[in-house]
Amino acid sequence: MSLEQFKNRNVGTQRYTMLDLGKDPQTPWCKVRQVIRRTFKGDLLVGLWVTMREMFNALFRGNMATLKYPYEKLPISPRYRAIHDMLRLLESGHYRCIGCGLCEKICISNCITMDTRYDENQRKEVSEYTINFGRCIFCGYCAEVCPELAIVHGARYENASEQRASFSLFEDMLTPIDKLNLQKEYPGFGAVSPDADENIKQTPLAY
Amino acid sequence: MSLHNSIKMKQEISVTIDGKVYQSTFGKTILEIARENNIYIPTMCYLTKVKPIASCRMCIVNVEGVEGAILSCQEKATDGAVITTQNHTLNKERQNIMKLYNVNHPLECGVCDKSGECDLQNKTMEFNVATQPFTVREQSRPVKKWGYVSYDPALCIMCEKCVRVSTEITGDEALSIKVGGYASEIINLKQSNNYSSLGAAAAVCPVGALVDTKFKYTSNAWELEKIPSSCPHCGSGCQMYYEVKHDIIYRVTNNAEFTTLCGAGRYGFDYANKNVSKNQKAFTQAVEAIKNAQSILFAPQITNEEALILQKIKEKTGAKLICGEAKAYQNFMQAYSEITGKQLYSGSIENISKSKVIIILGTRINNDAPIVKYHINMASKWHSARVAYMHPLEDIEMKNIVTQFIKYEPQSEEGVVALLVSMLLHEVEIPNYVKTFLDDLDIGYLSAETNVGEEELETLRKSMMKKESKSLIIGSDLYAHPRAKEIAKILALVEKYTDFNVVCIPPAGNAMGVSLICDLDDEASGNSVGYNVEADFVLSALNDSKKDNHYLDMPALNQQEGTLTTNDRRVVPINVSQPYGGYVLNDIANALGIEARYTIEYTKSLPKERGFQSIEFDALPDYFDRLGEAYRGYHLKECNVSIYEKLEEVATLDGFDGAVLYHCNPVEQFSAFTNVGEALHQEAFLLGSPQFAVATKLNDGDSISYTIDNVKFKRMFKIDTSLKGTIALNPTYDMGLSTPLVSSYRFSRVEIQKTGSNDE
Ligand code: SF4
Ligand code: SF4
Ligand code: SF4
Ligand code: SF4
Ligand code: FES
Repeated sequence: MSLEQFKNRNVGTQRYTMLDLGKDPQTPWCKVRQVIRRTFKGDLLVGLWVTMREMFNALFRGNMATLKYPYEKLPISPRYRAIHDMLRLLESGHYRCIGCGLCEKICISNCITMDTRYDENQRKEVSEYTINFGRCIFCGYCAEVCPELAIVHGARYENASEQRASFSLFEDMLTPIDKLNLQKEYPGFGAVSPDADENIKQTPLAY
Repeated sequence: MSLHNSIKMKQEISVTIDGKVYQSTFGKTILEIARENNIYIPTMCYLTKVKPIASCRMCIVNVEGVEGAILSCQEKATDGAVITTQNHTLNKERQNIMKLYNVNHPLECGVCDKSGECDLQNKTMEFNVATQPFTVREQSRPVKKWGYVSYDPALCIMCEKCVRVSTEITGDEALSIKVGGYASEIINLKQSNNYSSLGAAAAVCPVGALVDTKFKYTSNAWELEKIPSSCPHCGSGCQMYYEVKHDIIYRVTNNAEFTTLCGAGRYGFDYANKNVSKNQKAFTQAVEAIKNAQSILFAPQITNEEALILQKIKEKTGAKLICGEAKAYQNFMQAYSEITGKQLYSGSIENISKSKVIIILGTRINNDAPIVKYHINMASKWHSARVAYMHPLEDIEMKNIVTQFIKYEPQSEEGVVALLVSMLLHEVEIPNYVKTFLDDLDIGYLSAETNVGEEELETLRKSMMKKESKSLIIGSDLYAHPRAKEIAKILALVEKYTDFNVVCIPPAGNAMGVSLICDLDDEASGNSVGYNVEADFVLSALNDSKKDNHYLDMPALNQQEGTLTTNDRRVVPINVSQPYGGYVLNDIANALGIEARYTIEYTKSLPKERGFQSIEFDALPDYFDRLGEAYRGYHLKECNVSIYEKLEEVATLDGFDGAVLYHCNPVEQFSAFTNVGEALHQEAFLLGSPQFAVATKLNDGDSISYTIDNVKFKRMFKIDTSLKGTIALNPTYDMGLSTPLVSSYRFSRVEIQKTGSNDE
């Protein structure tokens, strides 16, 4: 392609449509007339009317458009990654965490610390579990690796605190037992996929 | 073994493995040759330190001209064999084996202690078994708690390693297999004994079936930092790792493929002197106390470097150095070397396990040096070794391996040794002075006084006939004996004139290192400073309750760097596993003008004339190679000493009669340090037979008191029906700072005061 051709942008069929914008005022009198017409047209009242209507709706019809943060908050995406929640089993109410330590291992900012012990029911029990939110970068790896869907991200995004490092204990993150019915599954990273049922391979059972 | 075979043993062979030719010697298995040459053959049940188990079939290989697959762990390679280790059929078969191992295996890696270092996990991945394709009806299989270890049959893959360790290595013979197809499981036949040696069986379990009860579920393996070290409790200095997280020792492990730890080493790790800070005032007092001390008493639980610091302090201040047990050992070995011309004995622990005849003299070996007992057990199991156990007290724990028990009277050891040596040197070429000595022995008299029958020795002699590889194990009953020097000289004849593998077990801790490094004195006098010993001023790592004005904290051996000298004549490194914030012995030495920045700067200046080498601490190796060869520290060089060949006539024997106490700690106790930790802590009793109870008019449960070496013992008397005779076992491990003071001859006759009885 020659430089000439390259520079010629009018290649092929042009389909431009010219808009009918009317004519610009030509004479000084025409210009004055346009100013006067635009000034006294009712458009100003149209804008004021919208404002008045919204004010009326907000004050008397309860259609307030702004939120009184921090008393009110916007709903956020269920996949948002904020302060962790520790979930419970729906049937027994026992916490789901089995103390496998995978979240502690995978955490790239090393902010999960846990201790486990042998409990009286011959199970592994989490005796100590903290997340240092001064370090957590909310990457979501812990929620992704957890084999029990026990640790997930919740919606508490307010992390301001008086201390640079503030810790959260297991109990703080655990679903309160009386709110078990309100516990929601987390749909983000690490959750079961919607078609999980189809992908499950059954282990042969003799009984 | 026939002559023909023994020639064949050394024969060079060449074998072809996967297309390459390798040279080796006849007698090795295919697997051994493969590992020598870094060729990978997968195994599940193979454990280097025991005989091939051959229960898993993972190690199958093809040999040209042989129908079907053969087990490489078991089959000896023949000259010219052409071996294939990998092909499609072999791998399919191996994959099938892994599928079978996974039948009903609980999917509980998430909580299992073994996860991350589990052979089953690894091999399941390696052979790409992504599902559990088979199953059988599951049954209830409750977890069993066997004291130190717990067993979960659901996780067990029946590889048999644990059973083999329990029989072939530790010899507790507690574990056994209950055969029953899919319902097979491991059972503990001796649950009531609560053997701490079962920890060694748990250590080899490839899965999470047999685990330490205390450790169970407390931490994932990958969270623990392994700090290599050596066990400081007895003189064996076994290889070990402290596994540490957040400055807490969670457990002790070892390279279980090649070595073994006894219960004290594995469970007695919790003795650090914690939460210590620098107490300036106490430190100044300590420096003053050492400056003015006429005697420095110390326990043998110290490093070589600290021993050298003490020696330097002695050279500077002229104080006497007192360490009873080490001194006795030093004297004994000095007399011993006057005959042999070598500074130390020449035998090795390793060779004990290869022996066909073993004579144990003057030690309750199972309690005194468990690892040595394990080696005796190995010899017994692998070579049906004749084991003669010579001691005043029978040991029921040794019953299954001892072929002949020869009982003698306490304090008649000199006679016993003379009788034994005259039997061993029978028909051996010996110089005249030995001949005269032996000819002058009044065998009849000795035999009568020691209670060792001539026919007993004759039986022993006959059983030893035509046997190669013999070991003589000498223990600490003899070191503090009033006639120790004479006994040592007679025993040294065995090393000098026969091919016996002779080992003189050091009596405690690092007694061997101390005896080589320090110029020790006999009796304390004047102002005294004690290092882990009761004295006017005490430096102690024991965190004792007696924290008064004359006390300065010291680091325990798991809070220090340094080296120990082992009964295998090796100098091995120990490392810091626990933080310590206080002063160390080196700080005191610095204050006295003996300057070194760190204690380990002394490692390279340990005395060369005693066989130590000039190697920096940080340059000491600490690993095992692929074949299990240990590279831990270095071996002491053999040092020649001047010979003084003179034997003294055997003195008149006056035996003990009546009730006698014998210093002897329970199996997993060695010193105050093993007793500090939570896992091993136990109450000490004077244990006597029913006969002893009658002789001393004591009842089970009586409170008693008595004094030995100026140490007052107060404890309860218990009848132990497994004991016989009128000798009771008196433990010393519970005496704290006084423990090292009890260092006289191990048998003693004492006045027992009854302070309370069990009647009410
Ligand atoms: S990954 Fe899940 S189950 Fe495992 S320790 Fe963390 S929260 Fe508990
Ligand atoms: S034994 Fe191994 S495979 Fe079995 S649960 Fe434990 S870690 Fe997993
Ligand atoms: S307990 Fe462990 S070592 Fe023993 S047979 Fe079972 S899997 Fe093997
Ligand atoms: S106490 Fe002795 S035998 Fe036991 S592990 Fe320690 S060094 Fe080895
Ligand atoms: S390793 Fe050979 S059969 Fe298991």
